[in-house]
Amino acid sequence: MIRKTAITIALEHIEFEERIISANGFISRDLFSISDTRPTFYMIGSMGLASSIGLGIALKDPGKKVFVFDGDGNILMNLGSLTTIGSLKPKNLVHVVFDNSVHESTGSQPTNTNFVSIEKIAKACNYNHTFTVRTEDNFEKILRKIKKLNGPIMIVVKIQQNDTERSERISISPVGIKEHFMSR
Amino acid sequence: MKEVIQRKIFDYLLKNKIYNFVGVPDSTMKYFIDQGLKRNKILIATREEEAIGIAVGMSLKKFQSNSLVFMQNAGFANSMSTITSLVQLYKIPMIFLIGWRGFQENDAPEHTKIGKIQPKLLQALSLQSRILNEEDWKKSCDWALKLIKEGKSCALIIPREFVD
Repeated sequence: MIRKTAITIALEHIEFEERIISANGFISRDLFSISDTRPTFYMIGSMGLASSIGLGIALKDPGKKVFVFDGDGNILMNLGSLTTIGSLKPKNLVHVVFDNSVHESTGSQPTNTNFVSIEKIAKACNYNHTFTVRTEDNFEKILRKIKKLNGPIMIVVKIQQNDTERSERISISPVGIKEHFMSR
Repeated sequence: MKEVIQRKIFDYLLKNKIYNFVGVPDSTMKYFIDQGLKRNKILIATREEEAIGIAVGMSLKKFQSNSLVFMQNAGFANSMSTITSLVQLYKIPMIFLIGWRGFQENDAPEHTKIGKIQPKLLQALSLQSRILNEEDWKKSCDWALKLIKEGKSCALIIPREFVD
């Protein structure tokens, strides 16, 4: 499964009013190129902070689900956020980590998820439910299953590296992204 | 700064519609933080960047979005990239409350360098700032509250007047 396929599958299970906080790099670019129909905060810089922004909005609006689209390199930069999320336990937070074990945006240098499991760290940090999926079928199954579960939930989606196809940069300005997100 | 003033500053900002207080502790402002903990209004993060990220998330709500992020000056140095590439890039208004150590000659060595360059760093970031003092803290708070209403970020600085 490549990232674009994984994101497409995820979107099939995210309602149109549910929020997405999307990490910088190819995750946001892929998501933007596939569909821009949900309230989405596309990050451009500040790598590592998608989970923290997601936590902030999840706490302020507990009635609405927040999906964080994260990367392995991204979350490794902010592992402390897992302890904050696991302490505050927002029921409406779903943390999806697209894990290809490389920093693809910068030239596919290896990350430590080759050796260390993010899912195990999340479990140790009191996430209510954690999953690792490797196939499209399994990812769909878990996405259906979590609709009835309380967060924080983490799904690590193991994806293949794919540096042949590159999505375009996001064409909305950062202030436009914010305003668009807040108005939906 | 005196305990009673620090507690008053917290209550004043809370009364004036700062809803979210997120940060990393600093002994320079421990009574401010303690007042917030008593009122169950403080969220302690693991690092300053994380604190700013959480505050940004909270500020993305249309209502009750005004946020304050507190930190030591060492933490301010940690936050530079997040301030430029998140807070300023997306124009998300918030108040930074930053401790200031190292401007006195006899402070602990780890504060000396950063304490000396802190005013220059604020300036380089184009982050407007005021230093809080015991006489006219209210005026500085009003200044910050006005800016956040206008959608601008700013910093309030609490200097460390003693060395323990």
